[in-house]
Amino acid sequence: MSMVQTKTPVSVQDPVIALLGQPNSGKSTLFNGLTGLRQHVGNWPGKTVEQKEGYFIRNGTKYTVADLPGTYSLSANSEEEIITRNYIAEGKADVVVILADASQLERSLFMLADFAGIQTPAVLLLNLMDVAREQGKNVDATVLERKLGIPVVPFSATDVKHYDGFYQALDRALLEKPLLKTAALEEKYRGLERFAELYSLMPREGMGDYSPVWLAAKILEGDAPVTVRVRELLSSEKKAELDALAAASQDGALFTGECKFAWIDALLSDAVSGKKHAKSLGKFDRVATSRKWGKPLAVGVILLGLIAAFVPAAPFMIVGGLLPSLLSPAFTAGLTAIGAPQFLIGLVCDVGVNALYFAISMIGFVFGITLVFGFIEEIGYMARISYVFDGTMSKLGLQGKAIMPFLVSFGCTIGGAAGTRVIDNWGQRVLTISLAWAVPCAATWAIVPMISSVFFGVWAPLVIVAIFAVVLLHMWITSKVFGRKLVDPEERTGLIMELPPYHKPKWGSLLRYVFGRTKDVLVRALKVILLISLVFWLLSYSTDGDVTKSVIYQIGTFIEPVTHFFGLSWQTFLAFVSSAVSKEAALGVLSSLYAGTGTIFASTVGTAGQAANLGEILVANIAPAEALAFIFAVTFNIPCVVAVASTYNETHSAKWTARIALYYICMALLMSFVVYHVGALFLG
Amino acid sequence: MRKLSETQSGEQGVISAIQGDVRFLSRITSIGLTLGCPVTVLQNVKKRPILLYSRDSMIALDRSECDKIQIGGAEK
Repeated sequence: MSMVQTKTPVSVQDPVIALLGQPNSGKSTLFNGLTGLRQHVGNWPGKTVEQKEGYFIRNGTKYTVADLPGTYSLSANSEEEIITRNYIAEGKADVVVILADASQLERSLFMLADFAGIQTPAVLLLNLMDVAREQGKNVDATVLERKLGIPVVPFSATDVKHYDGFYQALDRALLEKPLLKTAALEEKYRGLERFAELYSLMPREGMGDYSPVWLAAKILEGDAPVTVRVRELLSSEKKAELDALAAASQDGALFTGECKFAWIDALLSDAVSGKKHAKSLGKFDRVATSRKWGKPLAVGVILLGLIAAFVPAAPFMIVGGLLPSLLSPAFTAGLTAIGAPQFLIGLVCDVGVNALYFAISMIGFVFGITLVFGFIEEIGYMARISYVFDGTMSKLGLQGKAIMPFLVSFGCTIGGAAGTRVIDNWGQRVLTISLAWAVPCAATWAIVPMISSVFFGVWAPLVIVAIFAVVLLHMWITSKVFGRKLVDPEERTGLIMELPPYHKPKWGSLLRYVFGRTKDVLVRALKVILLISLVFWLLSYSTDGDVTKSVIYQIGTFIEPVTHFFGLSWQTFLAFVSSAVSKEAALGVLSSLYAGTGTIFASTVGTAGQAANLGEILVANIAPAEALAFIFAVTFNIPCVVAVASTYNETHSAKWTARIALYYICMALLMSFVVYHVGALFLG
Repeated sequence: MRKLSETQSGEQGVISAIQGDVRFLSRITSIGLTLGCPVTVLQNVKKRPILLYSRDSMIALDRSECDKIQIGGAEK
């Protein structure tokens, strides 16, 4: 049975194309190359799987591009795979673009083989053709095209200027609606035990775009959802027949897998020439994957990357830092001149200018981290980091790559959250961010040792050690709390991962991606920061700067009986609250409340000075047990408002961002409670 | 015939058996490891996932997964 059929040549209006490919096939690069910044990223309704859609306009036609989740196959092993295949089978795409890595063609054509039998028009892209050529491999696309019956395009997704061949193939596919030839594969399937019997039970017209051959092969592979759906259509007698066949086919994936690769081998037999890759570890990989040096090298590279990220970040931070001193006086003068009320001037300068200052200062760091870690991913080293840290991170239910955001978070949680971009699974990404929040950032280290030494003198290092112990405990508990919901334990298989060959970075496509991301983050971050700053500003507003006239003071003193329960007075509690805006604020606010230096808001955003003898003032006013409780509460509070914005940006889930934030506030207060009451026993 | 986890670095062979549940079989197949498939063991050191070369690709496999894969005689 030939599957090639040509429908009436009518070009599709507003075509939808779907990108399908294994991880590392360059799918995201193509998606970014095609759509530029015209993307929308969200989640599939009710699922913990990212949905990416974008569009491009060519010759007056709008092409919608759906970037399907990166999966290894179209079985039913994960939510990603089920979403992917349902999307295709429901006919939502006019053309499916299947990507294969030309430098590892044999293995990466598995997706094409698994797709075979789905009757959606398709195009095969042989991506990374430039890398294959560097390896001395040659692929004859015309031979493949003849055997497959669909357009086959040699391609390099990073080379945006040469997408013409792809566009032509796409238009041809939209016009001619070519279907993948599957006769040769079907013949191999027919040689398998039980295939013919199963095939005879399949609905004659298939199901959606699934052909009977595809359905029968999936049931042979033990695919439960397909079996259930086909079963519903059968008479009770045939149901029993199907059950018996399905029960006997639990290792069927091995045999269909053999057929698929035999089909691929036959395809490539006269289409690929050139030398085979060396079958030994390269010099660098011997170090990068070694038991002794693999981890130190990975940590070294990440820390170097962290430092390198500050290079592009520095100019932004300097410019951002100048903003309040440049803009605030100008706005104040301008607004005063036109007779604006004091309230409005405060609003514009304190909230508006400072939000801009926060956003711009952090955007440089996000830019740097995205660039550096995008680079490590692009050249292929990220997979090695994942490999050496897999054992450690799997204890938290995470991929080895998660080590990277954790280390970055010692510098800055914002960068840590932005760095989770390299984790391809949404649930794992959210879990990684929720754990990274527990890692104390540089701002925490700037205040905690100071407060500790003021109160505990030579015992301060003990406090630091205790904090480290609690960090590990916190991460472990958090992984238990959120892990179950975010990462399906059933999907936690041991490591089965491809380590892609190293290749040279493509700066053009990397920078395009990084700029796009950075702009995105800036816009979103600005919104979140503005909103939170505004609320905080309104709460702490008082007409003459006297804190006792602000709403936040009213609330603080009103709930003091409750905060006492957690070991905090209203002053330390307010400092704790503002440490969620920025960690440095904790000290500034204490200074403002105890020594009267500047308003709470100015202290929080760091534009007010601190009392010179702050240490003495604090010791005179705060008991040691309360100070210890305060240290823990601040350390494990929400990292900062920008980290919240960054988290929202990576998870694009307000629900999860809020959930994590709330969890951290509760954990911080709980810790404060425990530390205070235990501390009171020893410190009095 | 022996377990993949018991092979030596540098050894070549052909996969002769794979055990496991449906999920594992489908996952291992999708990365290119099937019955009769020639593999080269690139690195097998204690407590680290095993590194293989197969079908043009370098693949890392957990040790426990390698217990489920049998390797037969050298490639012809």
